[in-house]
Amino acid sequence: MVSLKDSQSVGKATDIVSKSTMTDGDVLLSVQGVSKKFCRDLKRSLIYGVQDIAAEMVGLRDSCDSLRKREFWALDNVSLELRRGTALGLVGSNGSGKSTLLRIIAGLIKPDAGTIEIKGKVAPLIALGAGFNPILTGRENIYANMSILGLSKAEIDERFDDVVEFAEIGDAIDSPVQSYSSGMAARLGFACAVHTEPDILLIDEVLAVGDMRFRVKCYRRLSELRKSGTSFIMVAHNPHVILSMCDQSAYLNRGKLLIVGDTPSVITKYEEDLFLGDSENKKIDEESSGSLTLPEKLEGTSYGLDIMSLHWENSQGQKLKSLKTANSAALCVKCRSDSNLDDIFLTVIVRQAFGEGESVLNLSSEKDDCKLNISAGISQVLLKMPSCSLKAGRYVMKVYLSQKGHRILDVVESFYFTVENIPGMSQCLFHQPHDWLIRAASHEDDSRSL
Amino acid sequence: MIGDLLASRELAWRLLVRDISAQYRQSFLGVMWAFIPPIMTAMGLIAAKNSGVLNISETDLPYAAYVMFSTALWQIFVEALNGPVVAVNQAKPMLAKINFPREALILSKLGEVGFNFGIKLFLIIGLFIWFKIPVTASIVLAPVALIHLVVLGTGFGLLLSPLGALYNDIQKVLAMIVAPWLLITPVMYPVPQEGWFRMIVALNPVTPLLVTTRELATTGVLTETSGFWWSSTLAFGCLIFGWLLYRLAMPYIVERMSA
Repeated sequence: MVSLKDSQSVGKATDIVSKSTMTDGDVLLSVQGVSKKFCRDLKRSLIYGVQDIAAEMVGLRDSCDSLRKREFWALDNVSLELRRGTALGLVGSNGSGKSTLLRIIAGLIKPDAGTIEIKGKVAPLIALGAGFNPILTGRENIYANMSILGLSKAEIDERFDDVVEFAEIGDAIDSPVQSYSSGMAARLGFACAVHTEPDILLIDEVLAVGDMRFRVKCYRRLSELRKSGTSFIMVAHNPHVILSMCDQSAYLNRGKLLIVGDTPSVITKYEEDLFLGDSENKKIDEESSGSLTLPEKLEGTSYGLDIMSLHWENSQGQKLKSLKTANSAALCVKCRSDSNLDDIFLTVIVRQAFGEGESVLNLSSEKDDCKLNISAGISQVLLKMPSCSLKAGRYVMKVYLSQKGHRILDVVESFYFTVENIPGMSQCLFHQPHDWLIRAASHEDDSRSL
Repeated sequence: MIGDLLASRELAWRLLVRDISAQYRQSFLGVMWAFIPPIMTAMGLIAAKNSGVLNISETDLPYAAYVMFSTALWQIFVEALNGPVVAVNQAKPMLAKINFPREALILSKLGEVGFNFGIKLFLIIGLFIWFKIPVTASIVLAPVALIHLVVLGTGFGLLLSPLGALYNDIQKVLAMIVAPWLLITPVMYPVPQEGWFRMIVALNPVTPLLVTTRELATTGVLTETSGFWWSSTLAFGCLIFGWLLYRLAMPYIVERMSA
């Protein structure tokens, strides 16, 4: 099921890309099959560095497609395109190769395979305030920093006032940067970087600087730049930033580009993977079909009421392989009874599958003071949930049927199930059903009087 | 390569201004630091020579002037030698983040060497006046020989800088090697005329360049012309090869640095 969904979203993604190829402007950046390998062992990494330099000097550096000892692919066959005036979000868990990709695009390091074509000037916002010297004044540092970013003196003179104004440094411009607060220094760095007016801006999680007001100003400046034709590639762990800034996104996982497509679908996929664990875990998910059938009890071990199977179903009574946040579902406990039993309680305890063992839910008909009467033969006990509040993830459930006085008749220790993600659930612990509306202010009094 | 060199002029100038102003702003004695070391060295050596501890044969200049002038030249060479390695190590955070013309770092260090020499020039002119050293017309050629000396230092430095950026050992080796190297260079003593030591001193590529600069600036009588030419060839060879290596190696160095 999950794999089917993947291929669908990939198909969708490529559709969008090809559509925009026809409508949008020229391609500023084209990344074709780029791969890069890194070494985790420092000593060995340095030796490889020396080897690479030596090989490059004699011009024999072509056998790059094999990994040396203790190396791994930091990027594996990544291809991307960026058009004028578009913003591309780059998501992926830590160590998935986002920064490496940005550094390759910035021309800082060479890919081991593949090519990169760039039209125009690339400004890396990976480096706020690179080359700032704490002893020198803000004024001197602006000149040094913007020179490093590739501007001539005349160009800096022209923009100087804008930079100072944007950074809100004011009179402190002639004080040494070491006397600045960290926020001031970061503001100055950001102001320098965005005033270089590049064609492509690479933003690597640097917008978390400054106070809220300045951040808002930064975003406004970025959207202004974008209107004037600057393209972005943006790395952020906060999905809201990507969602609000980028129309397209790419999802990197362990150096591989999984999807490129419209931001909401990519973010959804990313969050799903983030909360559900890696693809290896997903295989288990596919195997577990969302239901559990128990073997028949041996003679003499039954307490008169046996759970035969567990499964999830939707409101139409169809079996579900997994739950979806905010959607309705019902847990169906099928059981067999030897006789008519009154005052039976069903208890369901849910924990996160790879969590710390705390229960997320503990629902019991006993606590709800709801007595279930089960007649002889096979019957189904349903636990209906109008809206699943669980966020995406793997969960494990303990289910037991009991009588008053905690007399347990049958128990299922672990029933694994999966909750699928819906957009907008990042930074939420659970799903809160909600609505938005606007009301004219005059109604307030009316409602109060009600 | 030439294009990048030209493109990096302005950035190099900015970096130079930044480094020099930062250096002097945080110093109480400031420019005095250019004068103090050679004067202290000279005083120590003069004391040693006069007391007979050091047995140094007669120099063609008054010994104090000889030592101070030679030390100034030697310091220029050492600064040029350390320049590329130090520049790359200092600029690591910048190198790892921004793609600017890498030549700017080297040019800026060369500018610093020139600036420091400019200050020392006052000391040297003062020496010449104080000791009434006769100057010949050949002094106009002295800067040429001096440039060759700087080229030699920069060439060696460039060859070492890629390795120096990866391993700290290179900086340690450089610091260690400078003292013995000074001893086999005719800085504190005149060029020996015979013996095995003469061989060692003559094989040292710094010797002919330093001696020729000194001779052009003072007596005008050149004693190391053939050495001067092979040493200059070596210097320019190292510079070009070192520059190539520096350019090619930089992406691989950046790759091994943390961002």
